[in-house]
Amino acid sequence: MDLQSNPETEVLVENGQQNAASAWIQEHSPRALLRSAFREDRFFLVLSVFIGIFSGLSVVCFRFAIDWSRLYLLGTGAVLTPVRMLLAPSIAGLVIALLVIHFFPTTRGSGVNQTKAALYIFNGNIPIRTAIGKFITSALAIGSGHSLGPEDPSLQIGACLASMLGRKMRLSRDRMRLIAPVGAAAGLAAAFNAPISAVLFVIEEVIGRWSAGILGSVVLSAISSVVVMRWFLGSESLFRIPSVQLKNPTELIAYAVLGVIGGLASVVFAAGITTLRPKCKGLPLWTQYLQPAIAGLLIGVIAMLGAPQVMGAGYEYMDQAMHGQFTWQFLAILAGAKIVATLLSFVSGTPGGMFAPTLFIGAMLGASVGGVQHVFFPHLTGSAGTYALVGMGVLFAGFLRAPMTSVFMVLEVSGNYSIIVPVIIANTFAYVISRALQPIAIFDLLTRQDGLELPSMEELREEDVLRVEDAMQPVEGPVLDSEKTLDQAMVQLDGAGSDDLLVRMSPSGWNSVSKKELHTLANDGKGASKLGSLLPIRQVPFLHPDHPLEIALRYVDRWPIVPVVSRADFRQLEGVVSQRTVLERYREFGEG
Amino acid sequence: MPEEQNDTMASPKLAKYRFYLRQRPALLVALSILAVVFFLAVTGLSRAYYRQREFLGDRWSARGYADLKANNYDAAVTDFRTALLYSRDDYFYQLNLAEALIGLSRTGEASAYLLNLWDREPENGVVNLELARIARQQGRTDQAIRYYHGAVYAAWQRGEESQRREARFELVDLLLQNKDQGDAEAELIALAANANDDPALQKRIGDLFMRAGDYEHALAAYRTALRTNQHDEKAMAGAGNAAFQLQRYLLAQHYLKSAGVADSTDLHSAQLLQTTESVLRMDPFRPQISSADRSKIVMDAFSAAGHRLSSCPLPKNVTAGSVGSPPSLSDEWNTLKPRINPLGLRRNPDLADSAMDLVFRIEHQTSLVCGTPTGTDLALLLIAKLHEGS
Repeated sequence: MDLQSNPETEVLVENGQQNAASAWIQEHSPRALLRSAFREDRFFLVLSVFIGIFSGLSVVCFRFAIDWSRLYLLGTGAVLTPVRMLLAPSIAGLVIALLVIHFFPTTRGSGVNQTKAALYIFNGNIPIRTAIGKFITSALAIGSGHSLGPEDPSLQIGACLASMLGRKMRLSRDRMRLIAPVGAAAGLAAAFNAPISAVLFVIEEVIGRWSAGILGSVVLSAISSVVVMRWFLGSESLFRIPSVQLKNPTELIAYAVLGVIGGLASVVFAAGITTLRPKCKGLPLWTQYLQPAIAGLLIGVIAMLGAPQVMGAGYEYMDQAMHGQFTWQFLAILAGAKIVATLLSFVSGTPGGMFAPTLFIGAMLGASVGGVQHVFFPHLTGSAGTYALVGMGVLFAGFLRAPMTSVFMVLEVSGNYSIIVPVIIANTFAYVISRALQPIAIFDLLTRQDGLELPSMEELREEDVLRVEDAMQPVEGPVLDSEKTLDQAMVQLDGAGSDDLLVRMSPSGWNSVSKKELHTLANDGKGASKLGSLLPIRQVPFLHPDHPLEIALRYVDRWPIVPVVSRADFRQLEGVVSQRTVLERYREFGEG
Repeated sequence: MPEEQNDTMASPKLAKYRFYLRQRPALLVALSILAVVFFLAVTGLSRAYYRQREFLGDRWSARGYADLKANNYDAAVTDFRTALLYSRDDYFYQLNLAEALIGLSRTGEASAYLLNLWDREPENGVVNLELARIARQQGRTDQAIRYYHGAVYAAWQRGEESQRREARFELVDLLLQNKDQGDAEAELIALAANANDDPALQKRIGDLFMRAGDYEHALAAYRTALRTNQHDEKAMAGAGNAAFQLQRYLLAQHYLKSAGVADSTDLHSAQLLQTTESVLRMDPFRPQISSADRSKIVMDAFSAAGHRLSSCPLPKNVTAGSVGSPPSLSDEWNTLKPRINPLGLRRNPDLADSAMDLVFRIEHQTSLVCGTPTGTDLALLLIAKLHEGS
């Protein structure tokens, strides 16, 4: 019957239309639209852009501050006078120690772990004082010649700003937790002029996993901060080298050798830090006032002995190394001297980053190894710049243990994509060697030395995941068909070991029934009825063998057995899981 | 029911929305204002920052230019490096730094900078030229030629035509050094086509044509130079040399004589003139000479060839070139000798031809064995070449 021809239904339809219309009007009212626009998840995205802008602006100011302090502390010339070399880092060290001990105690170290701690321990809260302290002390340290870099402090400044904005915006606890990494990505992206690397680093080292919820915000903040930074500091990539032409694939062996040497250097560098840092921290409190100054003095001595290049972040010298301006012997000396200088600065508790020193050591080591190889194999076509760039990636992969970031970082800081194959090969060697010789990554070791237990991103990445197939058992007993009658099903029951039986529903889906229920239905005289019509409408959920086993936990307490079916054909049964088998599997896994 | 009461009753969720409606837009507006203020403040800071850097860059680069001018390359390198600290991408600082490095013979470092500059501006003439020079110095001829070509067709800031020409001169020099006469000649022809009548320029072109073995174009270039300055001794010497190579001995004599008059110290031209005059004097086939003079020339030439044979004995297998058991040139000379006298030559006019033929063959063979002769023998050899095929 036509609905419209029935007077009763006409009224119903009219009412329905009116309801729908009013619902539409309500949904599209300015207030509703405003409410929808400011829903927290959307608001978080908008806020990410602001975080990026503020972080970008702060990083620009931070760069100015570093340059100005260098100018006034070390002088305007490229050649430093011995007096400044010795006095600038020493006196700055004293001032920094006072500031850190009395005003900004949370500014020690690089800043990466502090950001992780904000995410995992402090619900995203980082006091703004940390950002102010980090800004002042790091600018002073780097500008005065301490062997540290501006990237990690930028990351922390970004995270602090984000945290402050999140607090002011009264974000929920979940969002607050995520806001620090968003700011960290913005700060790092602006410091490196490398948005992809920043996003990857935050994912690899801070958050630890790819999550759609956070990725959009991280990308937005990184991009907006880079746009701001480029507005003020220009869009040129950090280093420029001619494109690499790999004429002979055997040349990749040379890069593999660089990867091996870089891996070993990473281990030495990391071991130095993890050994000396607790010893320096364990010294009496009064020595904490002197440690940065003594470190600065020793760095000044290294500079006076002929390696002034180790002072500060050293980007200009990386550039010079890339342009073949040093002999391979001197490059090797610089790599070693920089390791020592950075160890001194870092273990003395001077605030500053590890990224730039890592890149410096890598660049010098790479160019040096390239130089040696050219002596023995003059036919190799890779330039000093190529080896230096690959070397940077190698140390990044080996020391900081961020393999993905290390590859993209090299590509972004050079704007040169032709180098990708050598970088991947060398980084892989360095990463594998570093992992083999020092199983715990540097950031995790530092965290543990500080008495915190933050999740290790490397361990998270490599954690074994139990899957449904690991707990899956073959089906015991017959699988019933919903199209068959109860009597036919009862025939199949003979010899069935299990109490619970699966029923394949038609046209799709699964259900379960116990022997007892079947007997009860049969006794009620429903033997001729189709099984499907007798079972409850609510069906049993099914799983696939590749599902993580934790998904099975959602169902096994409500259904005695859960079918595991093929992804190609949902009616094809691969096995079953039950609460018992799942828990047994977890127990076995826990026992190792 | 009043709205507020409704809301309160509805749910805490709605209350939360209301809270956000009140707070978030306002906060976003505040954030935007703050961002603009921050942005303006950083803009002010950045202006001060860049002004200071520009000032420092200029100061250090000015020192660098002064040091570069004074050939104080070491200091210039430091100065420009410092200047680059303040303006990393400044093209001219980098270029000058590269030039200072070249001055210190640190070509590896210089070429790294130049390659960067080349990547930025592949059509820059100075960069191409400097890269070409470095490549040439390092023996990378193909790359040098490529960069020279780049320099020839590049954009130059000042004196475009003359800079391109200089680059082409260097290119031709390299090609000639590399024994690539064909390409060198092609470049020279293009160079000559675009050159003005400046005598110095034309002389340089002429000299290079001479090195390329293109004597006709060389003569033309020297003549162009002489049109502007008829007394240019170098151009005259060059023209004389070119005419000599072209076997235009009368013309060569004219130019070489003039060159000798203009510059008595030019020994090469004097020697060439001497040879030219010997050629002109000893050529028995030249027109308008009496038979007596011709007989005398033939006898002198025959005698000179005999002396040459005795001073440069030929191996026994060197013969007159006939089949069977050929007589040697020495045998031939001895056989013919009794007949070479004024009477014999007068009676038999073909005898002069036979005698000169033998003379030419003797001079040719001895030059192959004993090297290019001098004096009369050289004149006879040149006369032989002059009449080859006639």
